[in-house]
Amino acid sequence: MDGMQWMASAMRAARSQLDVATHNLANVSSDGFRRVTATLELSERGLVVRQSPTGEQGAIRRTNRALDVALLGPGQFLAGGEPTRSGAFVRDRDGYLADDRGRRIAGRCGPIRFPEGATIESDGSIRSVAGRMLDRFPLPAGTRIESGALETSNVNAIAESLTVLQAQRAFETAQKVLVAIDDTRSKAASDVGRIQ
Amino acid sequence: MEAAASGMAAQQQNLEVIADNLANADVTGFKSAAATFADVSAAGTAGLGTASLGKHALFVQGKLERSGGPFDLAIDGAGFFCVEKDGRFAYTRAGAFSRAPDGSVRNAEGWRLRGVRIPADALRVDVGGDGRVFVDRPGAQRTPAGRVDLASFVAPERLRVLSGTLFAASPQSGEPHIFHPGEAAKTTLAFGSLEKSNVSIIESMMAIMTAQRAYEANAKGVQAADEMLRIANNLHRS
Repeated sequence: MDGMQWMASAMRAARSQLDVATHNLANVSSDGFRRVTATLELSERGLVVRQSPTGEQGAIRRTNRALDVALLGPGQFLAGGEPTRSGAFVRDRDGYLADDRGRRIAGRCGPIRFPEGATIESDGSIRSVAGRMLDRFPLPAGTRIESGALETSNVNAIAESLTVLQAQRAFETAQKVLVAIDDTRSKAASDVGRIQ
Repeated sequence: MEAAASGMAAQQQNLEVIADNLANADVTGFKSAAATFADVSAAGTAGLGTASLGKHALFVQGKLERSGGPFDLAIDGAGFFCVEKDGRFAYTRAGAFSRAPDGSVRNAEGWRLRGVRIPADALRVDVGGDGRVFVDRPGAQRTPAGRVDLASFVAPERLRVLSGTLFAASPQSGEPHIFHPGEAAKTTLAFGSLEKSNVSIIESMMAIMTAQRAYEANAKGVQAADEMLRIANNLHRS
């Protein structure tokens, strides 16, 4: 790889870093969202960005609403087959637990039916008014549930804003170097060997 | 750039919901709303930003406050008052009613509370926690004058909002289930009280500040992406 290809890969990498940071920033208000980290790595193709999800718990915000639940520990809810950690649920007209888009939440077998007055316990079980267990969220062992609360996004807006600025400057720097290399080559091509 | 723009749109929507909550912070029986968002991803990309899932009203109990109005009612627990106007039915938790000359009980917008009729010569009205209405008439103490029934819904969050505190049944909310307060249900009525809005002004102000900062941060993201495109365009020099 020559210098120009190196700089081009650096510009591409800065661009991906910006994409990741803006995606994180866009989800600063998405409950249960886990930010993605972008780390720079050297490879035979120059600088590349490796994306990896983070596992840090988001802050817990109390809402005191019975159908808001936060996961404490690893694991996910399944909303219409899609994994999510967002726990702002509502009941749909057939009495099933659903999200705001109407996707039903999966229990042990099929969507969870949530009768009037039922409660969500900290062990992930759903109990009727009489205390009978009706269903359970499929969660890994050790994960608890806090009802009346939501897990907020774990995005730190300040850190992501810094990444945006850094990526922008790195992009600029790589461009400057690229232009410098181009200048040198242009000189070599036109001036070297010229007879004055 | 699209990701950052979607973040700006989301914060804008968030701000609208919070502003609506704040505007109704003093409205009797008002229920605050919350917008929910989720990330949008596609395989092979860094992520496409965020999208709104929708919003829902938060039917968290508001504080009950002694009011002293002529026919003020507050619901302590789940449920809605059933009101009617021009043959249309609606449901509300705002219980500031008063006696109309024709014997009906109406709120300020003219919606009639169903199930109650107060005789014109009634001197004193009382409503029990179970919704039973009694009136004192000349020569007759505690005459029954109907009962205030409440409605509950399987999916109250999916009710259609008619105006700030007035809701109508929708296909998504299911049909109203009418019940007597005070019986099996944990809901009771408080006569002479009103339910305050469940909006917390302090929390809403904090949410507005957070949303504003998030909007600005996303705007910076759009700017940075734009700047990169400009720089890339300048790579080609004639």
